[in-house]
Parts: sequence; C-alpha cells; structure tokens
Amino acid sequence: MSRTPVTDGTGLTDQSASRRESRVPSLRRRLAAAAALLVAALTALAVPAPAAAEDATPTAPTKVTFVLGIKQDIDSFNPYVGVVASAYEAYQLMYDYLINSSDKDFSPVPGLAESWEASADGKTWTYHIRKGVKWSDGVDLTAKDVVYSFQRAIDGETENGQYGNYVTLVTKVSAPDDNTVVIETSEPSPSMLRLLVPILPEHTWKDVDAKEVATFANTDKPVGSGPFSLVEVQKNQFYRFVANKSYWGGAPKIDELVIRIFADDEALGQALRNGSVDMIQDVSAAVFESLQGAPGITTSDSKYSGFNELAYNLGAQTVENKPIGDGHPALKDKRVRLAIDTAIDRKTLVDKVLRNHGTAATGVIPPIYPNWHWTPGDAARTFDLAKANQMLEDAGYKKGADGIRVGPDGRKLEFRLFGRESSETSKDNVAYIADWLNQVGMKATVSIMSEDQLTAVIGEGKYDMFEWGWVVEPDPDFQLSVFTCDQRSYEDSGEIAAGWSDSFYCDASYDALYKQQKTLLDPAARTAIIKQAQQKLYDEAVYSMLFYYNNFEAYRSDKFTGFTPQPSDGGSLVFQYGVYTYLNVHPVSATSAEKSSNTLWLVIGVAAGVVVLGGILAGVLLLRRRTTADERE
Amino acid sequence: MTATTTATERPGPSGGGARQRRLRAITPTQVARKLLTALGTLAFVVVINFFLFRVIPGDPAKAFSPRGRNADPERLAQLRRDLGLGLPWHEQFWSYLKSLVRGNLGESWGQHRPVTAVVAGYIWPTVLLSGTALVLAAGIGMWLGSRSGWRHGTRFDKLASSSAVTLYSVPEWLLGLVLMVALSGTGLFPVEGGMVDPRSTLPGFLDVAWHMVLPCFCLSVVYIAEYSLIMRSSMLDERYADYLTTARAKGLRDETVMRRHALPNALLPFTTLFFLSMGFVVSGAITVETVFSWPGLGRLTYDALRGPDIPLLQGLFLIFSAAVIVMNLFADLLYPFIDPRVRRS
Repeated sequence: MSRTPVTDGTGLTDQSASRRESRVPSLRRRLAAAAALLVAALTALAVPAPAAAEDATPTAPTKVTFVLGIKQDIDSFNPYVGVVASAYEAYQLMYDYLINSSDKDFSPVPGLAESWEASADGKTWTYHIRKGVKWSDGVDLTAKDVVYSFQRAIDGETENGQYGNYVTLVTKVSAPDDNTVVIETSEPSPSMLRLLVPILPEHTWKDVDAKEVATFANTDKPVGSGPFSLVEVQKNQFYRFVANKSYWGGAPKIDELVIRIFADDEALGQALRNGSVDMIQDVSAAVFESLQGAPGITTSDSKYSGFNELAYNLGAQTVENKPIGDGHPALKDKRVRLAIDTAIDRKTLVDKVLRNHGTAATGVIPPIYPNWHWTPGDAARTFDLAKANQMLEDAGYKKGADGIRVGPDGRKLEFRLFGRESSETSKDNVAYIADWLNQVGMKATVSIMSEDQLTAVIGEGKYDMFEWGWVVEPDPDFQLSVFTCDQRSYEDSGEIAAGWSDSFYCDASYDALYKQQKTLLDPAARTAIIKQAQQKLYDEAVYSMLFYYNNFEAYRSDKFTGFTPQPSDGGSLVFQYGVYTYLNVHPVSATSAEKSSNTLWLVIGVAAGVVVLGGILAGVLLLRRRTTADERE
Repeated sequence: MTATTTATERPGPSGGGARQRRLRAITPTQVARKLLTALGTLAFVVVINFFLFRVIPGDPAKAFSPRGRNADPERLAQLRRDLGLGLPWHEQFWSYLKSLVRGNLGESWGQHRPVTAVVAGYIWPTVLLSGTALVLAAGIGMWLGSRSGWRHGTRFDKLASSSAVTLYSVPEWLLGLVLMVALSGTGLFPVEGGMVDPRSTLPGFLDVAWHMVLPCFCLSVVYIAEYSLIMRSSMLDERYADYLTTARAKGLRDETVMRRHALPNALLPFTTLFFLSMGFVVSGAITVETVFSWPGLGRLTYDALRGPDIPLLQGLFLIFSAAVIVMNLFADLLYPFIDPRVRRS
C-alpha cells in the first residue's frame, strides 16, 4: 500500500450537506453491513474446504500428531519435477525405493527389494521384490510397477531430467515374474545399490502423459506405498500425512505427520518454544543458540554431508583440450596453490564463520561417511603465513615494488575471488581468504555474485578462484566424478556447455582411480581406491577444502522421543537418506501431555474474540440509536 | 477556504435542479474517455512488463536446471524452443500477447504449475488480510482524525496526532517482530504466524481469524496513522467554514454539525487515499506476510524474487499493476458522484 502526502481538504455548501443529511446514516449502515459481509465471505474463501480438512482429522483423543517446522516450501509433490530438499523428503515419506541406506552408516539395506544379487561380470542385477506389499488404494504392488517406474525415468524427457544419473548405464529393465526385477547395465557400477528412483503405481501414473507430467501437482490423494500418505495440502502453510499402519517396514508410531512451512527463522524458533511444532530443522545459528538450554527443548548440532571449498581455475579447457576462459596461469602451478592452502586458517573460519558448528576439512568425502572419508593425519597442512611466503619465494614469485609478487612470466599474482550473494557464510569466507592472500604478497579482488551467474562464469572458465560447496551423497561415485577429465566443459554447436567440473582438473592417473573404484564391488577394495583418489586431490590442492559444516536441529524432548540419527554417530535426525525418525518417534509417555497450555490459551483467545465481536455489535447498535436520535432532532 | 469560493460551488439554485444534475453527473463520453485512458495505461504496463523481464541478463533456459551444471545441450535447445527464446522479439511479443488474451501467464519455474493457478491459491489470504486491515484502518482512522481535527488543540488531539506521527514512521515488519517476541510465552496469539494451525480443534474460520489478529494489527496500525492524519488535516480546513457557522446558528448539536456537515466535506481526500490503497490490497504487505508466514501474494513475491522465478514475477507485476489501474478507474468514475466540482470540470 502506498503512502500519500496529506492533501488539501475541500468544502461543500451547507445546502448540499443538508441534502445529504438523511442519506448519510443509511449509507453508512449499508457500508458497514457490506464490509462485514465482505470479511465473512473472504474468510470463507480463504479457508479452502474446511469440510475436507475435518474429514481428514477425525478428532479422536488418542491421535498422535508430530509437527515438523521447516523453512523451505515443498515445490511439488510430483517426484518427476520437484527440486528442493523438502520435496525429496516428501517423496521418501510417500514412496518406496528398491534399496535403502542404513541408519547406522548408510550401508545398503533392503527396501522394496528384500534381496538382490549381481552377475559375475557385475552387469546384470536381479532384485527380489517383497511379496504382499499393497498400494495405499489396496492394489498389489508388483515388479511391473518397478519396471514401469524405471522405464519412465529412462524414456520420459521430464522424468529423465530428474533421475537420469541413476539410469545412464541401464540398458534394459524387465520383470520375469511379479516379484523379480532384472536390470542390465553397460558396465559394472556400485550405484546399482543406490537407485534413488521412487517406485510409483503404474495404475494411476499411466494416466499422466508426457506433456502433463511437467505440471502435474500430484496432490489429490496420491497413491503410494511409503510409510505415510499425503492427505491435506495447504500450500505454503502445512502438509498433512497419515501413517500407513500396514507399512512393510512396521507401522510408524505416530498417527499423523504434519510438515509446517515458516517464512522466518525467528518464527520457527518461537513455534518450537510455544509448542506449536515439535521439531525444527535448518535454522540460523543465532536462533539455534537461543534455543540451547530452553526448557523441554533438546538441540542437536548434527553432522552433515556438506563441505565448503576454495576452488581454483587449473587452466580451463574443453573435453577436447581446447583452452577456454581467462584463468590466471599461476594457478596451474601446484606450488602456488599449496602456498595459498597453507595461508588459509581453517580454525579461524570454523570459529568465526561457523561459530564452531563444524570442523576443518580435508578429504572431499565428509566424515559423516566414515567408510569412505580420508584424512591426512599428521601429514595435514597447517596454517603458517611465514611458510607460505617462503614457499612462494622458493618457487620464484618475488615481491615487486608494490609488495605484490610477480611470477617468472612477469605476471603479478592478482586474482579474482568470487563469493556467493545468497550465502553469508560465503561472503565471510572470501573476506578472510582475501586478507590472508594479501599477507603473502597476493592481491585478491572480491566479487559477490548470484549462484546462477557464478555457474555461468565457471562453465566458461572465466574465473581465478571462487568459494562454493557440495553436498555429498552416500555413494562417493558422483563426488569423485566431478574431478575427472570428462566433466570439463564441452563445445556444442559453437556454444560452451558446462560439465560438473568446476576446477578443470584433468589427470590420467586420477581418472584411472575413478574408473577402478566404479568396477570394484568389494567394499574394502573400493574403499582403498577411494581414499587414494581423495589423497591425490589433497596433495595437488585441486581444491582448498575449508570446512565440513553442521546441520542445526532442535526438538521437544519433553513431548517426543525416539529420534534416530543417521549415521548413528551424531548424524542428522530428519532429511536423511531414509525416514528413520518418522518411523520411530513417539510420545514420551502413553498419556501424551501434548495439548498442554495451548488449549487453555486458545479458549482465552476465543473468549477475547467474542468480546471484541460483541463490542463491535454494541458499537453498531449505539450508532444506530444515535442516528435515530439525530433524525428526531 | 473562503466564502466566495464556496458560494460559486453551489450545485444549483433549486433542489430539483441538483437532483437532475446528479443523475447526469458523468456523461457516457466521459466514461468512455476514462475507460480508454485506463486501457491505454494497461497496454503500456503490458509492454513494459514484457521488455523489463527480457533485458535481465542471463539465459533463462539455464536457470531451469538445478545448479545449472548438468544442462544437456539437447535439453537446453528444447527448453529454448518451448520458451520461444530463439524467435525475433516481435514474434515473442506477439505470442506473449496472444497467451495473455487467453488468460495464460506462463508456467512458474519454481512451482512447476501455471502462474494463474499459483496466484489463485495465494490471492484470497492477501485480500482477506490487507482488505480487513484497510477497512479497519479507514474506520478507526476516520474516527480519530475527524475528532482530533474538530477538537483541535485539545489533549485528545495532541495525544492522537503525536501517536499517529510516531506510528506512521514505524516499519510494519519491525512492529511484527517486536510483537512476536513480546507476546511469546503468553500464548495469547499465535506468535509463530501462519494462517491456520494444523493441530487446531477450532472451526476453520475462527482459527484463521485468530491467526490474523497480529498481522492485521501490524498493518492497520500504520494505516490508521496515515488515515487519521489525512482526516485531521482536512477537518482542520473545514472547521471554520461559513456553512458550519450556519449549521450551529440553526441550533444543531456540535456533534451533529461535525458528523453531518463537516465530515462529508472533509471526507474527499480520505476517499482518494482509500481507493488508492484499495489498488494495493492485492500486492499485500510483503514484509508483514513474510514475518508472519502468511501465505499471501506478498510472500509469494518474496519467494519468487529469491528464485528468481521470472514467469511468476512477470505475472505478479501484471496483476499488481492491473489492480491499481482498475481501482484508480473506479475512483475516477466515483468522484463526480461525491464531489460536484469534479462534475463541472
């Protein structure tokens, strides 16, 4: 709404005023009545189908509802189009996958497939589907539904855009009988143990054609086989799921799960405090710290699968080795990168930027995956500005008159350093790094840009260094693939298209390690290779790893218990690779003290509302009385 | 205002004449002219809206794929064809116009649904919240402003106008945050915001009303200040007008003189402001809706900006502009009925 300057008044004659006299009161009354009607009508309109909502919530006194508060709205319940993390959380609740990840350490455990085996050459995989699993509408779930879901992920344009990376190697999917699925691949791959393709019911999805699927909402009582079913959608407000009491993995211990959306961190914290939600996730450090020690609340500084890095332009080239972009040549020199890496004080970054909610990083696979994580141990590089200066001196980068080092080729060590607009962490990181670079005789010009823009300049190789991060999946294959030669940008009809590489690292021995780990189905042998690959990245300072950050979660431990971390050693409680907390969470005592003081205040609130309404009514009556009195005058 | 100007503004010598004039307060030609002006403005907005979002740098097709990196060129080319990006601008404009006429505002990138469907889901909460706040503020503001203007210099006036000036300068979102923190722990109102409580046992509309109290309060407080200041100043202008002396001389009560004689004349600037704000009802209050997690168009705009979800933003801009234009047209058409001087010019 606008704010307008106070304008000049105007006067009518007494004659016109007196002529209006008799009209004014009745007009006012009509206006008041119209306004009241309008408000009532709008209230009715704004609450979509209250009847439907009541249908979904029969007020049984024993019903247990667990409410999770989050900030990121679910963009779509259609698993072929949603992109945000909260949407994937919903898909996990509504659907099943062939193989799940254990809560202990992410190792593969039976999902819809109760067992599986690979052929000797590792190219043919057979999955045995559970018998007796039913869709939420009572229809039997069979191997045909699995084949349908995979075929759709392979053939459909929208579908493939979403799940393409799980099926790139797949050549054929078939169902010899109702409980067996056979998937054939072009080469052996451990990713066949982590096919995160949701299994959808063919009998309802066959009606959603290739065109419609791009905008299909999937909110009208969607049929699924997961532990929860979606029953109520209040866009950008909350989503209600009811427990599937005949779930093959055991009935969830709560009756209802509500995911409630908040627009503001502070509001999220308040909601947990006053008990209108039972758990919150992904809040700011400030709100998280304010909740520490609050009565009835337990905070969890959970380990997370993400890291942040300082990435370098190692000489941008396309996959055909054609140089592109305008990266600073000195960054191709490993000694310069190692010196920069030595000039970064990770302890300060963890202390000041993360406020201690994280740890200094080394290998590109975070410690949340203990089976794959590599750490240099005593060989770790430590922060030492004097040593960094000496390293540059030894490498022949001498200081010029202005204090900035000059390389043997006569080029000054002046770098562009890019940070991300959307992240305070990123802005803080680049500010610290620029300062340290200054202290070792380099000049970093910081630019803050949007992630979209940064993506574009990385793809074109038009950068020197930037700060960003990755979230790493339980299988290390993808993260390691990012550093292979094949992932560099490529040229297509005169246009540069970006791959996943953001360092343009290309090394034959690294590529060999990557290919080897892909074919090793024996976990121990594969682990050894994966650690070697990480060590190589560390030794060559392809990235300067900054830190692994934590995930903030907090919950009402006075009301609920059974929160299940993944991995068991301090992992996340929700937004896992699985639905462990949702399955296990239950009220602290059988006679749940869930609806505590809230109801009392609700009654008081309603009473206050009645008083206000009464007041308005009285006011209107009074006005009317006065009006008639005026008319009598 | 002097006696001479008021005298020249007498609508007519006899009551009958005035009645006839009122029926012809606005001629069909005038209506047509106003309609055309509004349509012209709307057309201008459509053009601006089209070009504004096309001069933004960057490739919209690349914004589609998450983190933009795994964009397969074939898919990108397909997307560009679907979005009509390869076409010359006049063809793009033509197809944009054609789909506009069909009521198609494109497809939201962030929500994977048609923009019209997305907006339809968010418009009523906003109209409810902003509309209620506007009506409340107008009513209370009118009462406060007219009284403090009429009783100029009294303690009531001093208190009312100084608090109005203070409240006028308070940002709504700050007030919202302060209320949120201050009321937390009392449980009086849902300080965490939202429009409905998933655990509520109340009937739907009561729950909505209960959740609406705080955001509505934040919004109205600022508007009340605005309305009462306007009302007060126009009342001050009327206070010593001759016709009021006449009214008093007739022996009418002071209260009646104010309400029946001074108020209707002082209402004109207030009406202008009211209709202007009506146009802004749909754009809602971005900050208040965000602080209180209210699922309205303001919050939708905030989310769309963060994407950025260009088709959605484009659709929202168009709807917001259209609302202002329509309300201005409405006010234009109504003025001649309220103010005789507009009739004459």
